Amino acid sequence: MLAVLNKYRSIFVVGLQSNLVYRWNFAVRATFSLIHLAFVFVLWGAAFSGQTGIGGFSLRQTLTYFVMMLALQFFISAMNEDYEISEEIRNGLINQFLLKPINYYLYRFSLFVSARLVSGMLALVPLLLVLPLLFDKLVLPPFGWNYLFAIPALVMSGLIQFTIAYCFGLLTFWFLEIQSFIILSLAVETVLGGQVFPLDLFPKWLYDLSAYLPYYYQMYFPAALLTGRITDQAYALRGLCIQLFWVLALLAVARLLWSRGLRRHTAVGG
Amino acid sequence: MNSLAHYARLWLAGARYSVIRTMMFRADFIMWSLVELFWMGVNLLLIAVVYQHTNSIAGWGPWEMTLIVGTSMLVQRLLMGLFWTNLFEMGRNVRSGHFDFFMAQPGSPLFMVSTRKIDLDGFLNAPLALAVVLYAAHRLGLHPSGAQIALYAVFVICGLAIHYSTLLVLVSLVFWLQSAKGLEGGYFGVNEFSRLPREALRGVAAVIFVYTLPVIIVTNVPARTLLHGVEWQPALWLICAAVFWLTVAVIVFNRGLRRYSSASS
Repeated sequence: MLAVLNKYRSIFVVGLQSNLVYRWNFAVRATFSLIHLAFVFVLWGAAFSGQTGIGGFSLRQTLTYFVMMLALQFFISAMNEDYEISEEIRNGLINQFLLKPINYYLYRFSLFVSARLVSGMLALVPLLLVLPLLFDKLVLPPFGWNYLFAIPALVMSGLIQFTIAYCFGLLTFWFLEIQSFIILSLAVETVLGGQVFPLDLFPKWLYDLSAYLPYYYQMYFPAALLTGRITDQAYALRGLCIQLFWVLALLAVARLLWSRGLRRHTAVGG
Repeated sequence: MNSLAHYARLWLAGARYSVIRTMMFRADFIMWSLVELFWMGVNLLLIAVVYQHTNSIAGWGPWEMTLIVGTSMLVQRLLMGLFWTNLFEMGRNVRSGHFDFFMAQPGSPLFMVSTRKIDLDGFLNAPLALAVVLYAAHRLGLHPSGAQIALYAVFVICGLAIHYSTLLVLVSLVFWLQSAKGLEGGYFGVNEFSRLPREALRGVAAVIFVYTLPVIIVTNVPARTLLHGVEWQPALWLICAAVFWLTVAVIVFNRGLRRYSSASS
């Protein structure tokens, strides 16, 4: 067991090193994301003008939600993992993993964790720098059960994000070009994950429907817990159960795609 | 004149190659068209959701905002159709050394880099973006004159020039950095402001996004031309900004080109 853990720990360390090479790219990306945040502040500031609340939430609560979304994005979102997996399959680099005692999912997941650790920490730098300017515009709920619930929610969100990206990467076994699938899925995830607007602004029937989809648990659910948009403990617990279901379901899909995909795969050369 | 004809022939050859290539991968073409269509839908959905909870954004009603968003999408689709893939690939090519290919082409490297491919899916969605503009104008009961429509087209072209230039400046940074990955994110971030009315910005934000990076006027000037007729001061600012940013982009690209020393690894 320890040997297995050591194996993936080494992959994690290599991942950290290789991601640190691109530290400036992550830092630039994080800095640019502040531009998106500025857009959000301007748009919602103008929308709230003359109103005390939208959807039952104040401007400060809404802005806090978007800042939280931004921070979480760098810690738990899948970024290039789908493309990297696709490239490894297309270029035949995946063949080496078929001959070694390495689980490809765990290998990629170890790299994902290391990459998000680097990108998340680097994203915090520009965010912390502008925090004094934003401080009076933000409000967090008092410490309570929601923060404790957010811990498993965040872990499972990361798993859902990665596993969806992993599954898209594995589609390369069937399709030569998967970029369009990824971008289309990204558009769906962006809306139904609550990155464009908080999902609770949807009409109630649409919001209830979205709470059964995996996208809801990719970003919105942990962000809503951390920013006090979900205040009903029973509802949050139910959310954790649905999230767990999606983690297990996606893992099963990933396993199925891997085993079926390998049957189609042809390893050539040496 | 001969030179212009030469470049027109080169562009047509590239366009023909792009059409043939697209028709070879028809499923891909349909898929990408859907992707672009969906992203346009996301922008409209945001407006629809916000206006479900408020009547006005900085004094602009829902259909006036749709006019701005439609104009933004139109400029964006034209950019995607004509330049996006080319500039996106430039970053990769400089890093891998494949940029050599463009240096050996029978034309200016900037022209060859910018126009080699055309994305038909971008073009396919440009009429749809225009349809959004027309529908918003219809809902607002607008009846623009021929001159207003002609000026709208000119201002959209100026907007396209500004977007192309800012993107080129960002991608050209690859000549100095190890990789331009993620830099495009900066462009998308700034471009978001093109969907806002000018009145929503005050103070430092107005200085940055209206005057320094003129993304707001790219959409506001054409939209206001349809709404209220031409306003010469912002219109002249838009034209001057287009000339200025094109000049900056060409200078940055050429400076970068001097640093290029083929494959980096």
